[in-house]
This record gives sequence, C-alpha cells and structure tokens, in this order.
Amino acid sequence: MADSPFYVNWTTQLRKGLLELAILNVLGNDSLYGYDIVRLLSDVDGLVITEGTIYPILSRLRNEEYVETYMEESPNGPARKYYRLTAKGREELRRMNHHWQRLHESIGTLRKERKR
Amino acid sequence: MIDLTPDAEQRFESYLTRMRAALRGSATGDDVEQSVREHVEVALGGVEGPVSADRLEPVLAQLGPPERWVSEDELPAWRRMMMRLSQGPEDWRLAYGSFALTLLMFVLMPIGGVLLLIPAYLVSRAFVEVLASRDEAIGARRWLVLPPVVIVMAIVTGIALIAPIGAAVSIGLRDLDDMFSTVARMRYDTGFLAMSAGVWWIVLAGIYSIVYRPYRAAFLPLTARLRRGHALVLTLVGAVFAAIGAVLLFVV
Repeated sequence: MADSPFYVNWTTQLRKGLLELAILNVLGNDSLYGYDIVRLLSDVDGLVITEGTIYPILSRLRNEEYVETYMEESPNGPARKYYRLTAKGREELRRMNHHWQRLHESIGTLRKERKR
Repeated sequence: MIDLTPDAEQRFESYLTRMRAALRGSATGDDVEQSVREHVEVALGGVEGPVSADRLEPVLAQLGPPERWVSEDELPAWRRMMMRLSQGPEDWRLAYGSFALTLLMFVLMPIGGVLLLIPAYLVSRAFVEVLASRDEAIGARRWLVLPPVVIVMAIVTGIALIAPIGAAVSIGLRDLDDMFSTVARMRYDTGFLAMSAGVWWIVLAGIYSIVYRPYRAAFLPLTARLRRGHALVLTLVGAVFAAIGAVLLFVV
C-alpha cells in the first residue's frame, strides 16, 4: 500500500526532530568526523533519507555551541574535521534524552491502555 | 583534493552550485560546503586514478537533493519570500507580485507610477481566478492582493456615478462662478444637480442591469454579493433625487 500524504508528512516531521537527538547521541561518547556520523545514522532504519541533511544540522548545532569542531590529520588524505559535544551540548543532550524517554514511555502506556 | 575527471568535476561543481543556491541566506552555507567536499573525498578515497562522473553520481545521489536539506522555516524571511515568488505555488507568486507592483506604484507616483495600477490590478485578478479555480478562500492574502482591486473599483464606480453629472452641470448651468450665490440660484442649482443625478442614476441602473455580470466579475471578491436586483436600489435612489430636483425646479 502506498504511503498516504499524512503518513509521509508525519514521518518527515518526526525524523526532523529526531535527527538532532540522534546526532547528539552519536557524539555522546566519541569525537567523530562528518562522514562517520553520516554512516552511523544511515544505518538506523528510516532515520536518514538524504545523507546531506545531516550537514546543515551539524553546522547549526555548532553555531549554537552544542558541538565544536577540530581538525585532525588523516593517514588516508587531507585533515578531517571532527565533531565533539561541548559541555552545553552534553547538558542539552541529557535533557533531550530524558524528555524523549518520558515521551516514549507515555506513548507506550497509552497504547497499552487502548489495547485493554 | 580528490582527482576528478573533467566530466565529474563539472557534475560536482553543478551540484555545489545547486547546494549554495538552496542554502543561500542560511547561517550554515560555507560550513556545509566544506563538509560536503570532505564527505565526497572520504567516500571516494579508495578509488584509483581520477574519479569519473559515474563513480561520483551514487555519492551525490545518497547525499540527496540539497533543496531538501533545510526546511523552509529555517531560512530567513527574505529567502522564504523569494522562494515563494520563484518556486512557490502560483497564487503566492501572483499575490507577492501584485503587492510589489502596488508598492512600486505609490513609490513612483510623482513620475507616473500610477500606470502600474493596471498591471497590479491584472495580477490581482489573475490571483483571484487561480483561487476560484481551486475553490480556495483568499484568507490573509487579501492584504497583498485587494488594494489595487479596491482602487480600480473606486475609480470606475466613482466615474460612473459622478462624471456624467459633472458634465450635465457644466453644460446645463450658466455662470458656474455664481453657483449657490443667491437663494433663488441655490434652489435652482440644487434642483438641477438633484435632477441630473437622479435621471443619470436611473439610466445607470438600466445600464448596470445589462452589464452587471462583467462589472461583478471585474471586482471579485469585493462584488461577490452584488446581484442584478441591486439596480432597483439605484433606480429608487435616482427616482428620489429626480423627484426632489423636479420639486425644486418646477414646484417651489
């Protein structure tokens, strides 16, 4: 069955909000360069439709000082730009994860109640 | 720098140009371009020799169309407006086009800007027709589109109601400089004015009942409630004025 415009719009909006959370989470434990971030997120089913979408978000997160960048020499070519969370980004990620967790649980509870 | 064949280089440059256009006005443009260049270099890093357009294409395809990278609400207001003008639905382009022409008309008024009223009115009419074909309400866009329609309607209606009366006065009344100068003259002039207006409005009501459809269509949606029966109202007003005029001219 073809996806309805409503479903397409809903998944697009959901993905848009979740991409920022996903990016901050992949940077939660490690510094990564752009290509690696894209590869990791592309492995999450249904999260990344066009890989290029991630770069404007990374750039915006950097402008808002949630992530910072530094250059590191690469043995395979020119220096690469690495991204890592700032203290501000780490704090925001903690709050976002907490909010997401509560939302996820609440939706789960709603679904269970409807099934009864 | 990655080594690209001339074809691939041309393809990549055209992709970057498209990307710059899509991100113009957003705070992320230069940074994103650097990241995309790095992405392509890493993705094609293992390719031997110059990279052909065929090898580059799948990488660009996975990056996707740059127009979809940034949503409209992340762009500055001027960019959103430009997008609506250049890529948006026809009705938005027409609405902004009409508004721009009206604005320009007022700015250029001292040097003949009034002529822009005609294209502004025509663009507004086109906009109203587009909405009608979609059975869509005008909504907030009325503030962009209706001013030229209101102005043209006021001019046309004003001329139709008043101009022939002015002509009758200038032909029928003598010594216009002495109008209303004495009690007798005041009675006669007022009577003549009322009679001219009344007779003309009765005639105009007849004309209106014949041409009310084009008149109504020309000034929609302002005239949406106008009916042929409204000619009767104009006839009655005309008759009252004509009667007052007749009394003043022939009875009093």
